[in-house]
Amino acid sequence: MANTTTDAVMLRMTAIRKSFDALPVLKGIDLAVRCGEVLAIIGPSGSGKSTLLRCANRLESIDSGTIEVVGKTLAKTQGTRAVYAAPEKSREILAHMGMVFQQFNLFPHMTVMENLIEAPMQVKGMKREEILPYASELLEKVGLTGRADSYPAQLSGGQQQRVAIARALAMQPDIMLFDEPTSALDPELTGEVLRTMRELAAEHMTMLVVTHEMAFAREAASHVIFMADGHIVEQGEPKTFFEHPKEERTRAFLQNML
Amino acid sequence: MAHLSDTVWQMLEGSTVTFEIFCVTLVLALPLGVLASLGRLSAFRPVSLLMELYVWLMRGTPLMLQLLFVYFALPMVGIRLPDMAAALLAFTLNYAAYFAEIFRAGLEAVPKGQYEAAKTLGMSYPQTMRRIILPQVIRIVLPPVSNETINLVKDTSLIYILAMNDLLRVARTIVQREFDMTPFLIAGLFYLAMTFVLTWMFKRLEAHYGKYDN
Repeated sequence: MANTTTDAVMLRMTAIRKSFDALPVLKGIDLAVRCGEVLAIIGPSGSGKSTLLRCANRLESIDSGTIEVVGKTLAKTQGTRAVYAAPEKSREILAHMGMVFQQFNLFPHMTVMENLIEAPMQVKGMKREEILPYASELLEKVGLTGRADSYPAQLSGGQQQRVAIARALAMQPDIMLFDEPTSALDPELTGEVLRTMRELAAEHMTMLVVTHEMAFAREAASHVIFMADGHIVEQGEPKTFFEHPKEERTRAFLQNML
Repeated sequence: MAHLSDTVWQMLEGSTVTFEIFCVTLVLALPLGVLASLGRLSAFRPVSLLMELYVWLMRGTPLMLQLLFVYFALPMVGIRLPDMAAALLAFTLNYAAYFAEIFRAGLEAVPKGQYEAAKTLGMSYPQTMRRIILPQVIRIVLPPVSNETINLVKDTSLIYILAMNDLLRVARTIVQREFDMTPFLIAGLFYLAMTFVLTWMFKRLEAHYGKYDN
């Protein structure tokens, strides 16, 4: 796991274009996330921010552009279309990233602990005893020691999302992607999830966070990107970005959010 | 009383034929149904169309007609099967089609997010199906599969037209010979006993697979 902020670029996306059928959703996006950085991506719904995140780990395929993860090329434009790395190589590159979803997507038929150890056992071929100590550590970290034998349906939304974070961490990714992690939660439950994310950020985990939580973006992010209509409209350090937005579009959006 | 026990004995023999058809059909039709449902959901058009056609044919014509076809029409083109094999072929093809539709609905009921979560954790497609999707599908399809299975117990009686001595045919033979309706009552009790056991088994299965659902 990456534990220090360095200049190493963990994720670089260049000239990303993506359409759904004939509808362009990403119209040439460039971004780079350095080791230990927390990148907050904000913007109105339909701006393409979730799609951008889903393109980073190939839940969606890009039409053209380049994606590099820890220096390895996942996709690159050849001619007019993006070509992906071979399946084996692709899988290896994607293993650097973990993802947390808006709807948690925990495996409902497995206990909390089984959710955590499933992928390390299946994918990495680890033995139960090998992964259990680390999994317990992760549960403690997200404040859910004692819920190891619960099923997801027995947990609150906030608890489920914290399990989902621990599940992604169990694969020891270098980059964590968060797709609106608190949007499906009751307001009183968002705090516990954001706290867990802040702790992760404090440990210098490299993070990309698509969010509507302006307070989180302002306080925990090292860099903010504002997207609208498939473009990056404005970006910068949180302080400057929130206090002195340059673009009219950004100002209007922030006005609405506060 | 010796007479009654004799009747019950003959009917027990008949029920072994019923039971054999039931068991073999179930064992063959369930995995075949899984394959057919995967084919039906395949992105490869020819496969999904073929499976749609298969399901349409099997569900769109009476099982009785399918039995007669396998038994009488196939020999005309040189395919001659033993009685039991012919019956099993028709039953299996018919039931696999119904199971395929049930499994398709079950597969479609699992949220897309489950596949995505498994994928972002690095799991392969076979791992995802085996460990994540199918256990959830089983829970969803148990009630309808239970329904179809109970139907199968009763549908086995259709083979009387192939002159095979199943439970119902044995009962009818005795009734016609002795003008006594008791064998029909006994047959009814036999079917009820079989469906009772099945209902109980499926209840246990549903409890087992539904344990996380609270």
